[in-house]
Amino acid sequence: MDVKLTENKRVDVLSPVSLKPRRKGFNVMPAVFIGPHLLLFALFFLIPIFFGVYISFTNWDLINTPEFVGLDNYKEILFHKESTFYTQLHTGLGNTFKFVIFTVPACIIIPLLLASALHVKPKGSKWFQAIFYLPVLFSISAVMIIWSMMFNVSFGPINHYFSSAPNWLGTQPYAWIALVVVTVWWGIGGNMIIYQAALNGVSKDYYEAASLDGAGRIQKFFHITLPSIKNQLLFTVVITTIAQFNIYGQALMLTKGGPSSSTTVLLMYIQQNAFGSGQSIAGIGSAMAVILGLCIMVVSIIQFFLLREKK
Amino acid sequence: MNKKVRVIVSGFVLLVLLLSLGACSSKSSSGSAGGKNEIVFWNPFTGPDGKNMKAMVDAYNKTNPKYKVKNISLAEGDMYAKIPTVVNSKRNIPDLNIVHAERIKQFVDKDMLIPMDDYLSKYPEIKAENYIKAGWDIGSLDNKRYSVPLDVHSFVMYYNKDLVKKYVPNALDDNIVTYDEIKAAGAKAKKDKIIAMPVTWMKPTFLSVYSQMGGSITSDGTQPTLDTDKAADTLKLYNDMVKSGITNKDGQDAGQTFKSGKSIFYAEGIWMQNDVKSAKNLNWGMTNFPQLSDDKNKMVNWSSSHQFVLLKNPERDKKKTEGVMKFIDWVKDNSLPWAEAGQNPAALATLDNPDYQKMPQSFLVKDATEQKSLKIFDYKYNGYVSEQLDKIGNDTVFGKLDIHKALKGAQKTVEDKIAQDK
Repeated sequence: MDVKLTENKRVDVLSPVSLKPRRKGFNVMPAVFIGPHLLLFALFFLIPIFFGVYISFTNWDLINTPEFVGLDNYKEILFHKESTFYTQLHTGLGNTFKFVIFTVPACIIIPLLLASALHVKPKGSKWFQAIFYLPVLFSISAVMIIWSMMFNVSFGPINHYFSSAPNWLGTQPYAWIALVVVTVWWGIGGNMIIYQAALNGVSKDYYEAASLDGAGRIQKFFHITLPSIKNQLLFTVVITTIAQFNIYGQALMLTKGGPSSSTTVLLMYIQQNAFGSGQSIAGIGSAMAVILGLCIMVVSIIQFFLLREKK
Repeated sequence: MNKKVRVIVSGFVLLVLLLSLGACSSKSSSGSAGGKNEIVFWNPFTGPDGKNMKAMVDAYNKTNPKYKVKNISLAEGDMYAKIPTVVNSKRNIPDLNIVHAERIKQFVDKDMLIPMDDYLSKYPEIKAENYIKAGWDIGSLDNKRYSVPLDVHSFVMYYNKDLVKKYVPNALDDNIVTYDEIKAAGAKAKKDKIIAMPVTWMKPTFLSVYSQMGGSITSDGTQPTLDTDKAADTLKLYNDMVKSGITNKDGQDAGQTFKSGKSIFYAEGIWMQNDVKSAKNLNWGMTNFPQLSDDKNKMVNWSSSHQFVLLKNPERDKKKTEGVMKFIDWVKDNSLPWAEAGQNPAALATLDNPDYQKMPQSFLVKDATEQKSLKIFDYKYNGYVSEQLDKIGNDTVFGKLDIHKALKGAQKTVEDKIAQDK
C-alpha cells in the first residue's frame, strides 16, 4: 500500500496535473514544452505554406521580385481553356485522381489481409513480417531502379518468366498496372504494422463468443475484426490517400509521365513549371499546388465524415 | 523537487531551442560562400566525370596558388535550383560556377552574371583563337564576355566495326554515314536479326536532323518554330525507320543492344564512350552523327558546352576573382584529364597532346570542317523546347502520338510559357 502511494506521487510530479498554474498569470511550462515543435512547425511548415500561397498570386521567375498579379494565375489554370496550363492542370489532376483511385484500395486491403494472415501466427510469421515490411525502408529511387529493371522489355525477369512481351512502362494499360504494383509493393509494410498492432488489441473473448454462436471465419472478420479496428482503418485510409495524392517519384522515374502524358501527374507539371530546365514560372506552379492542396483537403474531410458516420 | 525538475526540463528545452535556431543562422553573412583564400567552385559533375574534375582541381591546388579552389559538385537539378536562390539572397554565392551553354542567354537576361572583360585583360591568352569556336562564341553577348568554355561535348555516332564491314563496308569512307546508308544496312542485316540503329535520345537527334534540313527552333530569337513541315519530316524520318523494323522496338534498351553486338550503329554522346568501352569483345569506332547528305560542309553535330561563369555578387572580392581567372587560364593548358572523361576540351592547347590525338572523340576538333559542324542550339527559351522534345520525341517516333498533333502542342506549350515571361 505504501509503496503504491509513493509511486503514484512520483508519477504525479511529471504528469500534467502537477503543472497546473498555481498562481494566476502566464505559465511558462506548456510553452516550453510545445516551443521547439512549434518553432520547427512554423519554420518548415507554416511559413512555406503562406509563402507558397502568396507566390500563387504573383508572377515570379525565382530571380526578380515577385510581381503581384491577383487572381490571374488561377484564372489561367482554371478557366482559360485555350491555355497550356489549363490543359496541364486538367491532365495532371485527372491522372493524379486516377492513381489515387487505383492504389488506395489496394494499399488498404492487401496490408489488411496480410496482417490478418500473420495474426494467426503461421509458421515463419516473423520472417514474413520482416519481408513484407522491408520495402518501406528503401528509398524511392532504389525501388524505382529495381522495378524499371524488373519491367524492362528486353532483359526484365517479368517478361522472361511470364513469357510475355508487353512494353510495361511505355504502353497502356501496362504503365498504370506497373505504377500500382510498385506503389503497393513499396507501401505494404507501413499500413500492415498498424493493422497488426490493432488486431493484437482486439479481445479474444469476442472471437470465442462468436465461435460458440457458430460464426465462421469470414463472419468473424466482417463482424468482429473490422468494427474493432475501425479507428485505425480510418486513420490509414486518410493518410494513404494524402500520400498517394502526392505521387511524383514513381511516375517520374518509371514511366516518365508517358506514354503520351497519360501518367503525367500534377506534381510533375508543378515541378516542371517552377524548377524545369527553362525559366521558372513559379506563380503558375504555386497556383497548381494550391489547387492540389485544396483537393487533398476536401477529399480527406469527406472521407473523415463518411467513415465516422457509420459509428 | 518539483522546482528542480522544472528547472532541468526548461533548461534542456531551451538548449534544444537555441541549438535549432543556431543551426538555421550559422551560415556566414558575407556574400561569398568560401573562406578568405578559397575559391568556391560549383559544377554539375556528379557522374564519373566528377572524379576527373576533382583531379584537375587537386592538381591546380598543388601548384600552390594564393587562392585555392574548393570543388563542389552538385546534382544538376539542385544546382540550377540553388543558383537563383543564392544570387537573390546575396549570400553564399560561389566564386566560380560551371553552367551549360544554353543557360547563358537567360542568365545574362536576368542580370545574374557579370562580364569578365576587365579581369581577362590580364590573361591575353584567353581569347577566341585558343578555343573551339562554337564553345567560345556562346559567351559573347552585347560585345561583352560572360563565360569561358571548359569543353564542347557532342552527340555523335558509335559503330560496330565488324558489322559495318559485313553490311556496309563503304559507309565510313568519307567519315559520314548517311541515313540512306543506314537504311540500306538495316535492310541487309534484318535477316540476321541485327538492327541498323536503335532510337536513342530524341532531343539532340531531333535538333541535329532538323538543323540539317534547314530548320531552326526559333525564327527571331524569341518566337519558337517547332510546328513546321521540316520538324514533321524529321520525326517522320525516324518513325519510318521504326516502322521498317531496322531500329529497336519500343522499350528495348538501346545501349544494351549495341554493346551486345546486335546493332550496327548507335547514336550517343561522346561522354558515353567509357560505357561503350566497358563492353567486352566489341570492336567499335566513333564517327559523325548520321547526316542527310554526303556534303561535309552541311554537316551538323549537336553540341553543348560547359562554361565557366561568374555569378553576380555585390560583395565580390576583386583579388579573389583574379585568382579565379588564374584557375581558368590554368585549365586552358591542363585539360587532358577532362578529355580522359570522354569530353573534348574547348581549349585548343590540348590538341597538341599526342595522348589526346589518340582519343576517338578528338576527330571532331582536329579538322576545321569538323569543328564547323559542332552546333550549339543557343536560344533563350531552349529549356522549354528541350522539355517538349523530351516529351514528344519517343512517343511520336514509336507511333504512340500523332506527329502533327504533338508538334502543334509543343509549339503552343512553349509559346504559352514564354507569354508568362512578362
